[in-house]
Amino acid sequence: MRTTRFHLLHILAGVLIAVLLGIHMVRLHLDAILEFFGVDSEDPTSWTSMIDRASQGIWAALYIALLAVALYHALYGLRGIILELTPSAKAGRVVTWSFIIIGIVVFGWSAYVPLHLLSS
Amino acid sequence: MKQRQPRQNYLGAGGWVWAGKYKLERYLYLLHRVTGLGLLLFGIIHLIMTTFFRIQGQDVWESTIAVLHNPVFKVGAYMVVVAFVFHALNGLRLILQEFGFTLGRPIPPVYPYKDALRKKRPWAVIIIAVVGILAVVFLYDFISGGW
Repeated sequence: MRTTRFHLLHILAGVLIAVLLGIHMVRLHLDAILEFFGVDSEDPTSWTSMIDRASQGIWAALYIALLAVALYHALYGLRGIILELTPSAKAGRVVTWSFIIIGIVVFGWSAYVPLHLLSS
Repeated sequence: MKQRQPRQNYLGAGGWVWAGKYKLERYLYLLHRVTGLGLLLFGIIHLIMTTFFRIQGQDVWESTIAVLHNPVFKVGAYMVVVAFVFHALNGLRLILQEFGFTLGRPIPPVYPYKDALRKKRPWAVIIIAVVGILAVVFLYDFISGGW
């Protein structure tokens, strides 16, 4: 039952990523098309454009939410691929716990940066 | 009591590519896995850039972006976008299948009947078509200068 729940969470995270990363991709990549619809034409990767977004709470929240769901989805997916190669039960547990620790560390550091930029 | 070991995966990673005659959906599965791993690799690079480099201020950020404007990285970025679009839409197809939406009504297997794979086939064709269209839209945007 526990495995099913984590798998459902993986699916749910996938749907959330499609929405959040969709917003991120359209904003960062479709600038020529956005310009056509009247959105500002500044290069989204320039420092001023980036800092402008980083100083808005809504973007920081979007990025941190995306970070959390994408990290879970990616690490759970990679764990699934590795466990498909049927390592021993002990090796499987090592993989699982390594990914949990990696996930927490990466989330902590990567969520700190937008919060730091938001407050600076 | 000795713990029962799960059945071994005899083909290993090679079985992802070939384990007999594969149908279209099986190649979509392989592509789903490859794009997933590719997106993970991109995610690692992206996080390094947006944390370690971004926090060091404007000069470091601008020199990083200058490196990323290199044509090699532009092509890479385009491939990431297409991989994401494919992974998302194929994932949607898998979710619909998993919850039983694309399987059709259960019917008695009276010949000539449609097997489950053929009932689901239109969805596979639709997602390939949509991925193709979006790939062209993003290609237009990349070629027209923005990225």
